[in-house]
Amino acid sequence: MALVAILLSIVLGQLGFFDAARLTKGLRNLGILTLEMIPPDASVLPVAGKALWETVQMSFAGTMLGFLVSLPLSILGTRHLFSAPVSNLSRLIAAGIRTVPVLLWAILFVILVGLGPLAGTLGVAAYTVGYLAKIYAELFEGTDPEIVEAVRGTGASRFHLVRFVVFPEGANAILTQLLFMLEYNIRASSILGFVGAGGVGFVMQVYLQTLEYRRLATVLLLILLVVLMMDGVGAWLRKRFLLTAH
Amino acid sequence: MIQADHQNIALQAEGICFAYRGEEWVLKDIFLSIPRGKATMIMGPSGSGKTTLMKVLAGILEPQRGRVDVLNHEIGKRTRRSLYSLIGYIPQQLGLVRNLTSLENVLMGALGRCGHGKVMLGLFPRHEIEQAQAALDLMGIGDKGSEKVFRLSGGQRQRVAIARTLLQRPRVVLADEFVSDLDLALASEILRLMRQVAEREQMTFVANMHEPQLVREFADQVLILDHGQIVRRFPTDEPQERLPSEVLQ
Repeated sequence: MALVAILLSIVLGQLGFFDAARLTKGLRNLGILTLEMIPPDASVLPVAGKALWETVQMSFAGTMLGFLVSLPLSILGTRHLFSAPVSNLSRLIAAGIRTVPVLLWAILFVILVGLGPLAGTLGVAAYTVGYLAKIYAELFEGTDPEIVEAVRGTGASRFHLVRFVVFPEGANAILTQLLFMLEYNIRASSILGFVGAGGVGFVMQVYLQTLEYRRLATVLLLILLVVLMMDGVGAWLRKRFLLTAH
Repeated sequence: MIQADHQNIALQAEGICFAYRGEEWVLKDIFLSIPRGKATMIMGPSGSGKTTLMKVLAGILEPQRGRVDVLNHEIGKRTRRSLYSLIGYIPQQLGLVRNLTSLENVLMGALGRCGHGKVMLGLFPRHEIEQAQAALDLMGIGDKGSEKVFRLSGGQRQRVAIARTLLQRPRVVLADEFVSDLDLALASEILRLMRQVAEREQMTFVANMHEPQLVREFADQVLILDHGQIVRRFPTDEPQERLPSEVLQ
């Protein structure tokens, strides 16, 4: 424990966390920035609202497309259902996709399909595939082997096992991770406009570059509102569909 | 080699040895034969290898040595999936899918006969659904068909597991301490049901059991397993004074 504390101190020092003058200046700037953001400029609501709606659409479509691709990929990556070469190849593909951050995916798709929300949606989808394929493969591998054996013994094929054991047993976690991914993607998609991949990011970038912080504050509040709404929808879905007793 | 009348033997094991690691044998040179249409119960202390033996007999674990024959079919030469018409297996925790309904769980017993078309959409043939419902009715829980399994009591889950095996229609049912979590009265009721079903369908029933009273009541033959070896075998209609202490306790 002491060793970790010492290591942390050294790293924090190297990163500038003990530079009191710099931190004090940062706090002062935070105060100035906050004051310059108040009150938020409501006149940009139509523009910001439209851009944010595009971000929500990109996130939703990207998450669902990524989810649909990640399911078969994660099934193929489940070691007790498929042979080692198949599952290893599937996991390697997922790991390769996951290595690239969402912003870089967006840049790649801007190069491939041009500027706009299509590039952003594909970027979100690609990142979602990498993340969910790994999580789901781990989840499916954790399916109670006793249930798998009992149902396999009835003559079920591996596709039957996926349909009637792996998916239903993992339903809670599948839904939970999907909702988490959607919430994450809404936040992540907010900056994809910085690289021309559509959504509210482009509007934010313009307000930042022109120092229109009151307008930026409006956009940030709108994003906060959408994220809170997503939390509410997620909570409702979990309550509605997940197991409530064991 | 076991000298037995093969017509009357449902399940036969010859020289089974099994180890999870290296030479740490959990089962040592097991020879046994299970008579057709009878109830055989395997008793033994914890760690004696009962569950491992059951999994080897069911074809889930492959022994390092020896062979298992079910109705003259060597199971080591067949895939697990192809054994469904011969062997039904009920694990200790029953192996039910908690997030599916009772009826859906029972329908799992028909998967070996179903293809991948409509069934993958959850649409089973009508006659299979009717038989699954009939199996639940027979178990006395016909009204629980649409109930998710995680909402059922322990006894009701046991009945669902038996109904699933009933729909599977195997010739031999292997059950691994599947009533061990129930009180004696309920366990006795479940075993009575199981025995009725086995007699009606001419199934051979093999179960791990540690409750002497249930063994005396329901077994035709008892095998005592200790340290991975069958140390005694006897019919339960032996005179009382000749029964071993494990069954008399």
